[in-house]
Amino acid sequence: MTAVIEASGLGKQYRRTWALRDCTLAVPEGRVVGLVGPNGAGKTTMLRLATGQLTPTCGTISVLGATPAVTPAQLARVGVVAQDTPVYARMRVADHLRLGAWLNPGWDDELARRRIGQLGLDPGQRAGSLSGGQRAQLALTLAIAKRPELLILDEPVASLDPLARREFLRGLMEAVAEHGTSVVLSSHLVADLERVCDYLIVLVASRVRIAGEVSALLASHHRLSGPRRDPGTLPAGQEVIEESHTDKQSTLLVRTGDPVHDPAWAVNPVSLEELVIAYMNPANDIPARRPRLGVVS
Amino acid sequence: MIRLTWLQFRAQALTAAAALAAFAVLLAATGPHLASMYSSYGLSSCHGTSANCANLASYFTGTLGTGPYGVLYLISVGSILLAPAVIGLFWGAPLIARELETGTSALAWNQSVTRNRWLAVKLAVTGLGAMAVTEGLSLMQTWWAAPISQAVTDGAHAGVAPGRFTQLAFDTHGITPAGYAAFAFALGVTAGALIRRTVPAMALTLAIFTALQVALPLWVRPHLAPPVHVVVAVPSPEISPGSSGPAGGNKLTLTALQAPGQPGAWVLSSGPVNATGQAVTSTPAACTGLANKGTPSAFVDCLASQGIREAITYQPASRYWRFQWAETAIYLALALVLAFYCFRRLNRRLS
Repeated sequence: MTAVIEASGLGKQYRRTWALRDCTLAVPEGRVVGLVGPNGAGKTTMLRLATGQLTPTCGTISVLGATPAVTPAQLARVGVVAQDTPVYARMRVADHLRLGAWLNPGWDDELARRRIGQLGLDPGQRAGSLSGGQRAQLALTLAIAKRPELLILDEPVASLDPLARREFLRGLMEAVAEHGTSVVLSSHLVADLERVCDYLIVLVASRVRIAGEVSALLASHHRLSGPRRDPGTLPAGQEVIEESHTDKQSTLLVRTGDPVHDPAWAVNPVSLEELVIAYMNPANDIPARRPRLGVVS
Repeated sequence: MIRLTWLQFRAQALTAAAALAAFAVLLAATGPHLASMYSSYGLSSCHGTSANCANLASYFTGTLGTGPYGVLYLISVGSILLAPAVIGLFWGAPLIARELETGTSALAWNQSVTRNRWLAVKLAVTGLGAMAVTEGLSLMQTWWAAPISQAVTDGAHAGVAPGRFTQLAFDTHGITPAGYAAFAFALGVTAGALIRRTVPAMALTLAIFTALQVALPLWVRPHLAPPVHVVVAVPSPEISPGSSGPAGGNKLTLTALQAPGQPGAWVLSSGPVNATGQAVTSTPAACTGLANKGTPSAFVDCLASQGIREAITYQPASRYWRFQWAETAIYLALALVLAFYCFRRLNRRLS
């Protein structure tokens, strides 16, 4: 696996608090990668470090094999849609495209104009009077039209209504399909990620809880329910991610590479959202799981 | 990057151009009349050191001082003094702070242009614009006020009128306005980078710039070159005596408005000294009877007969440009230090 972003022991400290601490992760090439995690997990810090907006306090990060944002060539290879999709409120839509053309040697003006046309944006309109969805689309257009190898988007749809969100993600997918760009997209909305991502990284408290292809993740996780049972008695290949028990019943979320044949269990697939939430829940984050039986009603 | 800078700076540049144009129109409309007034006083044909010319010049400046030209002079000088502060506030402070506040820094700094280049071009274009505008105002005002300046210089021969070293004149003419503008602009940018909010950055810029504009002429400018010390005999037309009388302990003052034979010099301090060169603070007993009575000259003659002379510390008028360059260099150096700090901060801290 070639990594477009590789972080090792990465940390960022603000005065006393660590926004990200000892984070090690790899983002594979040629994928649409969803970076998901609870608020404060370090997603935004991670992506800002990847775009060179921040410099690490410790550890290393390389993006497309180089230090982020130090040379114009490196900047040209990475397209960014920052949190809240900022645009210059007092500048016109057309001015933003000129800005892109002036500042990016690889600028694809035809692509930019086509997108603006498809979106129905008036080039003469000031960006400040655009709707949230239009603004996000304009920011995406700027990022795509510089023809980057890697596109980094930080919560781009967080503040958009469902329709605008869908439109934005569709635009993103079209661009990715057309140019084969690698994408990293952070969000805490799993449903959005499910729509576009083929690879998922769950980041909790600066740590990668799980990472993998979405289809593989879904295939290897099952919800087992059956008579009450100590999870410690499960076969070796089955790792319990989440458990809940009543007096008579146990419900487990397990990860396993092999099919579950035990007839005592009713085996059901899990949704991506259930899976992500199970990994995000700090109560399930036990470094060395020991057999234990608690009653959770 | 220059094109983007211009696109973002255009509105401010046009405002400045409009202000410059209004200033130019005002001065161009009144300048010729001012010059003709100067001629009609017969001043244009009488430069020199004659007492008559000096008196005429003093009369001319005195008349102007109470009329509309006096007001216009103050307004024009005030504009030049204010311009750097306004530029620092409205061009400097928002340059980085506004980008951070609106989040557009994430847009600007993710194009294929490094932050160093972004800042370098922004600082160069806007900073040079700031210097050009302020210096432009100054040059126009210098042209317009040429008759007044000449009359002031001529009047200085009479020992009463201040020269080009007066703070108002020094701060608004020559090359210092450009230095102030560069510094105020860099100060605004730095404050914005530090505080990350435009309005507080503006307040800080104004506070620091004002403080420096007050402090530098008071405490630094007099020492830019070692001053000249002289001890001169009294009486002299440039020196006016004063005595507080018996109730005030017969405190003696001898104020030198000018250094004798040094028209336009900047007098830093002056006071009476005795024959051995020590400062004298009270009127000698022999002269107390003449203090505040009779003619001042009789009093001063009495002081002279007691061996009292006047010590003057001053900067000669010939050092004017040396001082202009030195002060401008200080402000430019400070501006460069601030700019350097901005580059560091932009690369290390800001996001």
